[in-house]
Amino acid sequence: MIMCLGARAELKWEQTTIELHPAANDKQAVGHFKYQNAGKTPVHFKSVHASCGCTTAQSQKEEVPPGDKGEITATFNIGDRTGTQIKTVTVETDEATNQKTVLTLKTEIPQQLEITPNFVFWKQGEKADTKTINVKVGKDFTVKHIKVTSSTPDFQAKVEEAGNGQFKIDVKPQDTNKVVASMLTIQPEDSQKVFYATARITNAPQVQ
Amino acid sequence: MKQTSNIEHRTSNIELPSDVGSLGVWRFLWRILDFAVAGIFIYAGALKALDPVQFASDIDNYKILPWPVSVALAFYLPWLEIFCALGLVFRFLCRGALSILTASILVFTLATIAAKIRGLDITCGCFGHASQNWSFPSHLATNLAILAALLALLFKVTSRNRLQNLV
Amino acid sequence: MKSSLVGQVVILAALALLPAAGEAIYFRDKISWRSAIAPSEMVTVDQARGWGDTAIWVDARPEDEFANDHVPGAISLNEDRWNELLPQFLAVWAPGKKIIVYCSSLSCNASREVAHRLRKEAQLADVFVLEGGWEAWMKKNR
Repeated sequence: MIMCLGARAELKWEQTTIELHPAANDKQAVGHFKYQNAGKTPVHFKSVHASCGCTTAQSQKEEVPPGDKGEITATFNIGDRTGTQIKTVTVETDEATNQKTVLTLKTEIPQQLEITPNFVFWKQGEKADTKTINVKVGKDFTVKHIKVTSSTPDFQAKVEEAGNGQFKIDVKPQDTNKVVASMLTIQPEDSQKVFYATARITNAPQVQ
Repeated sequence: MKQTSNIEHRTSNIELPSDVGSLGVWRFLWRILDFAVAGIFIYAGALKALDPVQFASDIDNYKILPWPVSVALAFYLPWLEIFCALGLVFRFLCRGALSILTASILVFTLATIAAKIRGLDITCGCFGHASQNWSFPSHLATNLAILAALLALLFKVTSRNRLQNLV
Repeated sequence: MKSSLVGQVVILAALALLPAAGEAIYFRDKISWRSAIAPSEMVTVDQARGWGDTAIWVDARPEDEFANDHVPGAISLNEDRWNELLPQFLAVWAPGKKIIVYCSSLSCNASREVAHRLRKEAQLADVFVLEGGWEAWMKKNR
């Protein structure tokens, strides 16, 4: 049993996990999984399949002769994702042992601002109290000030610096009589990037 | 006649006090090993028993067993480890305890090697999420060290039992 | 007096069953035996349909799959265009509504990720993931 498990695959991978650190404005993160055929017979790729639609993976070649090198390129489309994203690519070959290899792409997406909650609401008729949105600056960034504007005059937004890379946005509606919504635009000083939060007066839940 | 042979034994004891001393030292060292191994398994078992949800996920990551089996093992294995470790400490059902612990570390080690060969990047789960940042060589080295200790203890218990059976 | 090795193994194995069973009962709400999501976060097609108009269906699949077909009345909300789609979803949400997020099947992760973001970022309550996803919906509605 131990000898069986000790048998080595023909395809040797330089790395099966790649960690990527794209820049804040990057739209994609690309990982190159390099391999070499250390066996004596050609290896054929049966399938290369990613764990989600956001990641595409391509093999340079379908057949890898003995001794040849190649790579599988995995492209992760970041979209509006945040935080640590782990996506996998499963590679199936016609090797005698180890027919399936899982390649892992771990992407750390830098986030300049972390906004929680990004949605504040009041029920229609509720008291128009101030609600607070917390803004935390990402650890690799420095933001001294942020500017907040409301898309409608129905809501007022006031920024308070909480220190230590944190801000508070106090949001207050004029009144809660009408069902209205506003997009709050949050922009760090000296930055082109813009973040959003939503403020709304909602319908009161139906009493059943 | 019997009395004479007893006296002779007593004499040999007096003549060789260092043997008695070193036997005691060995016994003490074996007990230290008992406690060390038991301590490791109680610690590992407790970590996993406190978060069986995460442990189930760690077992599932090996992609060997179906999910319901992973869940069942996540609830069961930590307690089995703890009871076996307590058996070592209190010298209760020792052989059984050592056999189970040896089998479990062997299975974990083989599963970790198999996962590595298959290219899975997983945490061992052996020490719950405390071991999540360990590298594969660290995992393997730790498991093999524990396995060696268990085999030594098992050998000792088995040979002691054989000797006692002969008396 | 000394029990056999097999006997000892059986006794230890049996002893461990008791606390294990206790833990399984204690954690029954935190772990599902059927799939790797907490049962309090999962909902079947039948349960979700039973909620009628109090439910909002959220499609976490890519745009082209949503455009091809989706649960009637579902809102598209995926991580590719989260910033653009979230306000549209929030415009139809109201307190008391139950949110059911689905993606293609049981093995797809997008619904869990979208559900997680709705809970964490928008701090919405009553967010559920549809067990079996679009595949399960299709089976019940063909």
